Parts: sequence; C-alpha cells; structure tokens
Amino acid sequence: MIRPFILVLVLIAAWTVPQRTQAEDLVTALSADMVSIQSNFTGTEIVIFGQVSRDLNTISRRGNYDLAIVVQGPAQDVTARRKGRFLGVWINRDYERFRDVPSFYAVASTTSIGDMADRVLLDEYEIGLNHLNLAITGSSDVPLSERDDFRRAFLRLRQEQGLYSEQRESIEFLTESMFRTSVSLPANIPVGNYTVESFLFQDGVLLSQTEAELSVAKTGFEQLTFEMAQDHSFFYGLIAVILAMFTGWLAGVIFKKD
Amino acid sequence: MQLYLPIAEIPVNMFLIFGMGGAVGFLSGLFGIGGGFLLTPLLIFSGIPPAVSVATVTTQVVASSASAVVTYIRRKAIDLKLATVLLIGGIAGSAIGVLLFDMLQAVGQLDVVIALSYVTFLGTIGILMLVESVRAIRRRRTGAPVQTRRPGQHNWIHGLPLKVRFRRSKLYVSVIPVLGLGAGIGFLGTILGIGGGFMMVPALIYLLRVPTSIVIGTSLFQILFTMSAATIFHAMGTQTVDIVLALTLMIGGVIGAQFGARMGQNLRGDQLRLLLALLVLSVGLRFAVDLLLTPEDLYSIAITKGAGT
Repeated sequence: MIRPFILVLVLIAAWTVPQRTQAEDLVTALSADMVSIQSNFTGTEIVIFGQVSRDLNTISRRGNYDLAIVVQGPAQDVTARRKGRFLGVWINRDYERFRDVPSFYAVASTTSIGDMADRVLLDEYEIGLNHLNLAITGSSDVPLSERDDFRRAFLRLRQEQGLYSEQRESIEFLTESMFRTSVSLPANIPVGNYTVESFLFQDGVLLSQTEAELSVAKTGFEQLTFEMAQDHSFFYGLIAVILAMFTGWLAGVIFKKD
Repeated sequence: MQLYLPIAEIPVNMFLIFGMGGAVGFLSGLFGIGGGFLLTPLLIFSGIPPAVSVATVTTQVVASSASAVVTYIRRKAIDLKLATVLLIGGIAGSAIGVLLFDMLQAVGQLDVVIALSYVTFLGTIGILMLVESVRAIRRRRTGAPVQTRRPGQHNWIHGLPLKVRFRRSKLYVSVIPVLGLGAGIGFLGTILGIGGGFMMVPALIYLLRVPTSIVIGTSLFQILFTMSAATIFHAMGTQTVDIVLALTLMIGGVIGAQFGARMGQNLRGDQLRLLLALLVLSVGLRFAVDLLLTPEDLYSIAITKGAGT
C-alpha cells in the first residue's frame, strides 16, 4: 500500500528538484594504456569500453544516448603547401601553417556528428573533423577566399595518411548502458601522449564527459635507436659509418676473388 | 615481412628494400659505380621521405665503396695524396651541403631542388656518356685508332697557382681545382644522396688528366671518406639517417655487387658505358617528367614542429 506512494513521491521529487548536472555518469576503459612500437609494428587497434550509469534518483530519459569518442595525438605544427608553375616547373609556392593541430585524430560516434549537438558545442569540444580548430599562424600570403582550400586539403591528406578519421555509427551498445568501440592506430602514428575523450549527449545536450590517457612509445631497439639518433647524434652517425665500413669490408673478404 | 624503421617512422617491406639494395648493388658491380643515384630515387619513389632516403643512402655508399676500396688498396692503385686533398675539399663541401639541406627542408623546397639537380646532372652526364660510348663503339667497328693520353698536353687548369706534385698520378697541378672538385662533389653527394663517382671519374681523367689506372681507386677512396663525413653530418644536422634501412640496403647491395661484377667481366667497356648512359638518362628523365607534368595532387603537408618532426 505504501510502496507505490513512495515511488510516486520519488518521481515527483526527481521531476521538481533541479537537475543535477552530472546525473549521468560516463566511465570508460581502454584495452591498453600503452601502445609500444617495436620493429614488427604495423599499426594496432585499441578497444574502448564504457558504461553510462545513472543516479538512482534520476529518472530514465526518453530516447537514446548519443556518444562520441575522440582520440587525439600530441599537437604539432603542420605546413600545407600548394604547388604552382614557376618557369614551367611545378614547385611549392603558397603555403599555410596550422598551429597546434592534433597529430592524430579519430572520432567514433553512435550517429552522424552533426545530429548530436549544435555547431557551437561541437566546435567548443572539437568533436568531428569539421569542428577541429585549425588555427593559422603568422602572416599568410594566401587570399582569404582560398584559405578554405588549404584547410580542406590538409584534412583530406591527413585522412589519406590514415591519421584523421571519422567513423559514425561505430560505437556499439552491448547492453542498454554498456558500449564498445575500436579505433585503429596506423603504423605511421607519432609517439607521445594521446587522449581519449568521451562525450555523452542526449537531445543535443552534453550530459557527461570523461577523459582517459593513452601513451604511444617506441620500446626496445626502436627506442634505443631513436634516442641515440636524437641525443647522441655524433655517435649515432659514427656507429652508422663503422657498421657500413665493416659490412663493406666483410663482403670484400667473403667474396674475395680467387 | 614488415619492418618498422625507427627514424623514418614507417614500416616497410624488408624484402622489397633488400631487393632494391640487391638490384642496385648488381648494377653498381656491373658498371663499377656506387649506385647512389639509382638507389636514392628508388627509395623516394617507393615512399620513403626524401630526407631519410638521401641521408641513408650516404651510409649505404660507405659500405659499397669500402668493399671496393679494400681491393684497390691491395693493388696499390690509389694516389693517397691526391685522394687526401680531394677529401679535404669533399668534407668542406659536404658540411655546406648539410646546412643547405636543412635550410631547404625548412622552406619546403628540398624535393624540388633534389629533382632539379637530378635532372641537370644526370641529364648532362648521361648525354656526355651516351655520345662518348657511341663514338667508342663506332671507332671499334671501323677500327680507328684509340686516342690515348698525350703527355705535355695542357689546359687552363694547369696554369693555376699553388702547384703541388702528386707523384703517384705523375701530376704537377694546382691544389685549387683539386679542392674545388672534391668540394663540388661532396656538396652534391650530400644533397642528392650519391657518391658522385660517375662525375668524379670523368673529371679526374679529363680535367686533371689523372692516369686511368689510378682514377677509380682514388675516386672510391675519396668517396668512402666524404660519404662517411656526410653520414655523420646528416646524423647530426638533419637526424635522418635510418640505420635499420641502411643496414638492409647495404647487405642487399654488397651481395648484388658481387654478381654484377662477375657479369661485368663478360661485357665490353663501351657497351657497359652505353648501358650506363641510358640508365642515367632514364632516371634524369623520370625526375623531369615529375617536374613538368601537372601533379596529381597540388597540395602537400609537412610537419614543422611538435610530435613527429
């Protein structure tokens, strides 16, 4: 007799009490926190698991959740160049420098990104390739009307290299609240600290977000070689020369003409 | 089998690289050349970044010339004094080359300079060799006497000051052209990823009139050490020497060279030079086509700062 009454009370309370901002909680976990690059590295895939959990006093909302998961690599400056004819020869002429753009950017989502939220919100969190902030540095000779060409070319080339990608409907809900997606990291990814940001939307409202870290590093021989080349470049060069001379000499001895 | 290159930061097919090294090694054994001018373009065309290709081939040239230098030392067919003077010029030229290389890379004009230089030098040398070898073949067919070196014949080079005697080469010549030649070839070699033997040998014969018996050994000796210096300069300056790539190439190269050298013994010198001329010309032509035809993609991107530079 009393039970339905309490339930109604709870429902009314939930309805009238101002919504707490974090009624929905988003938790994610990565299949690996670290990607190690070794001599047999040809790219890999990371799996991202997650769960949407609700507060007990939050009522179930109508409609489905929309999720976007953004994997970003360390920032870098990139120069995009355009060839032009000069004395009959094709050479690089105009260029545009983009500052602090992600070296890797992959976004997985449950639906098409434009449908999840409005432009302002997507721009703010840089969700989706069209919402990436590609800031231009310094002075540029490129006329304003052509700047978009460089921007588009940059995004296109990055996508061709497999470094930028957008995969809609690639997040799979295993249960009502558990989801999973995988993001492939190509062989040419730069090393550094990556972030995996997950965003939970509903009806265009950002309900919750969370961030996880992923590090990509060379290990073993690859790391040793790379560090040597960077930090002890003279000795690295010397070793290369000695190795080459030894190989050449050895071949001369082995194949010595009778 | 895929192999990840620690400096180029891309995986490559190890057998493909090994095969390229072997094929170029075969040709270098056949023609008695370093093969850098073939190997660098091959690597560039197969997707290795131009900077890594050039720097790494300088290391590969060290291996291929070391192998041959041993033989020439044994035969005492090297003018060490001449080689040392050439080498001094070569190291200076190489250092300037690396500085320019770095600068060109920063302004995004490295690729076009490499391509233009290849067109110019391979085009010129290729045509000269073609003409010379066709003449030689004709001469042989008609039985005309072969011109030999005439002692006492002088050109403007022999009028320059600071003369030094190079006993082994039976030369009394100014050090200026010798240093200049070394510097020029060291400079080009460093920028283009070539040993430059195919330029050095004719220059020594026709400009300085070094006896042909000593020319190849001396040229190889100078290339060995200039390219060693270039490797170290590249490692320090551009940091684009990929030791894994270099090792794969050089192992393929030294093996291929042995087979090439054996086959070369069965071919006539003028026929070899004709083939080599055609080969040189076709590489130059390939670069020319790339420069002149409208590129498939006008845009390109390069990382200038931060991760992955």
